[in-house]
Amino acid sequence: MKSTQALVSDDASWVSRKCWSDPAVYQREKAAIFGRNWLFLGHESQISAPGDFVQAYMGETPIILARDEAGDITACVNSCSHRGLPVCRADHGNARRFVCPYHNWSYTVGGDLVTIPQEKALAQQPDKSLLGLKRVPRVESWQGMIFGCFDPDIMPLDAYLGDMRFYLDAFFDRFPGGVEFLGAPHRWLIDANWKLPVENQLGDVNHGPFLHSAIIPREAQDAIEALGYSVVTEPGHGATLRLMPEDAAFEEVAWGMEGMGGILGGEEVQRYLKEVQDEAAARIGPLRARMKGLTYGIYPNLSFLWSNTAFKVSHPRGPNRVEYWSWAVVPAGAPESVKRTLRTNYSSFFGPGGLLEQEDSEAWSQQYRGCAIDYADDRPLYYGLGLGEGGPHPDLPGTVSVTANEHYARGFFSRWRDDMARQEVGV
Amino acid sequence: MSLSVAVTADTQRAVERFYAYEARLLDERQYQQWLALLSESISYIVPARVNAAVDNRQRGNESMLAVANELERADGEGCPLREESYIHLMLRVERAYKPNSWSENPPARTRRLVANIEVMEATEDSFTIWSHFHLHYARPGSRSCLYSGQRKDVIVIAADTDAGFKLAGREVILDYADIELPTVGLLF
Repeated sequence: MKSTQALVSDDASWVSRKCWSDPAVYQREKAAIFGRNWLFLGHESQISAPGDFVQAYMGETPIILARDEAGDITACVNSCSHRGLPVCRADHGNARRFVCPYHNWSYTVGGDLVTIPQEKALAQQPDKSLLGLKRVPRVESWQGMIFGCFDPDIMPLDAYLGDMRFYLDAFFDRFPGGVEFLGAPHRWLIDANWKLPVENQLGDVNHGPFLHSAIIPREAQDAIEALGYSVVTEPGHGATLRLMPEDAAFEEVAWGMEGMGGILGGEEVQRYLKEVQDEAAARIGPLRARMKGLTYGIYPNLSFLWSNTAFKVSHPRGPNRVEYWSWAVVPAGAPESVKRTLRTNYSSFFGPGGLLEQEDSEAWSQQYRGCAIDYADDRPLYYGLGLGEGGPHPDLPGTVSVTANEHYARGFFSRWRDDMARQEVGV
Repeated sequence: MSLSVAVTADTQRAVERFYAYEARLLDERQYQQWLALLSESISYIVPARVNAAVDNRQRGNESMLAVANELERADGEGCPLREESYIHLMLRVERAYKPNSWSENPPARTRRLVANIEVMEATEDSFTIWSHFHLHYARPGSRSCLYSGQRKDVIVIAADTDAGFKLAGREVILDYADIELPTVGLLF
């Protein structure tokens, strides 16, 4: 493998094809990226009662995210201390104990070892307090979003999210009861590198009227670009959004109105969306009340698609395979019937059955093929659009530019390069 | 679970003709003609499927393994893979004939077998029909794959049409929890 410094140019305007296809690069990413950053595990709405659990992944590591009997949130590696089998076999549920199928060692949902059935027949009893499931050393929540990190020395989650909190709060705090993640994630295995879905959702609204021209008309994209901004709060994180004019009509500015749910939902849904918008300025301030997000990304692999109200995680499964998870997200305080309608904002266009994302997933697969062409290794991919453009904005934190600027991707790859180099020299 | 309802051989034959015709239209990419088979009030649902926790209290009973335990359906609190109306299906059909529907340009080759066609309910003007399907899907340059599933349909008698019926409801139960397929946005 080339040195990681050579994979991404100094200004990150050139990115080697090997970043996307080299098995040795991927092996290093496991420790350098997934071992040392905050990774999204789940939302508190998924584990509201003691005993509730959901499965999650940190990179390729299977994790059980649970609320233990004391009501605390725990994250453990899903692998028995005896012979290594997974002890939790369901995607989600509520349990008192996880029981390993092989010899029935049993654990609390928080990962403490409770019974070793074989020990009764033996003179010496092992110290069970040393044989619990391996714990994720750092687990923290912000706005109900739970993250874990394998690096015990990582900065606090709040600081890690930094100014992205300003943009995320424009969504979360809009709704009096916060948000709710609906059901189990849709899990889609795609023959692609994990970084391309991330890049796509981090700020790439530019492919919209081209890859999706069968669905997205040019005029719709023009309207987005006229009011749109691309923001990099710090390298690797980013947001694209529109700031609607101060005198924009309610239908133009309210969250949810232009989604499939808002369009097809009828009077009850429209009334609910109006209520939310009427209170928005009081809840999040007049500026953020007229903010309409498009795509958000949290380094390294969490995405929030505000425009279609879905959270997504890109779990790597090798250089050429990704397990792409997505959840529909709805306002927790909305009536059940409204939630059911609003979830189609996501599923109509995104996820494994979505009208738009079927084009994306094919593009992501084809990009991997292009990056695996050895003969083209001397032709790195061009990431220079908008290089040096953008700057501060009076109201929006971060480096702000037009949506065509690829600074979000350069930010991602400069941080990725630094993480990989840090691993290389072992600091 | 009960046996299908007893219908006349003519009725069973008419239903099977309808399904063979529908399958042929879809495999020959005549989606506009397929759209004409739909009622404009159609509900088209693809539930999500999960690896559910087995409920110990149900041990010893068939309910422990009920497929319904694994489904996130339209009336539930999870999120189905697809919840569509006529307008969604019209968009899918329109997309198919645009040259920039990139993931299917060049188009995939499909071949489906629809079998085990059972009339589960009959009223004066409609039938509830359950069927099974295997759909072979070969996208250019990709691995070909198999879609396996069940369809639970409501078809209404439309005596004034050549096909004899219109599709008024369809629930497609796919036999996968993890989607190892290029898309589940197909017309099943």
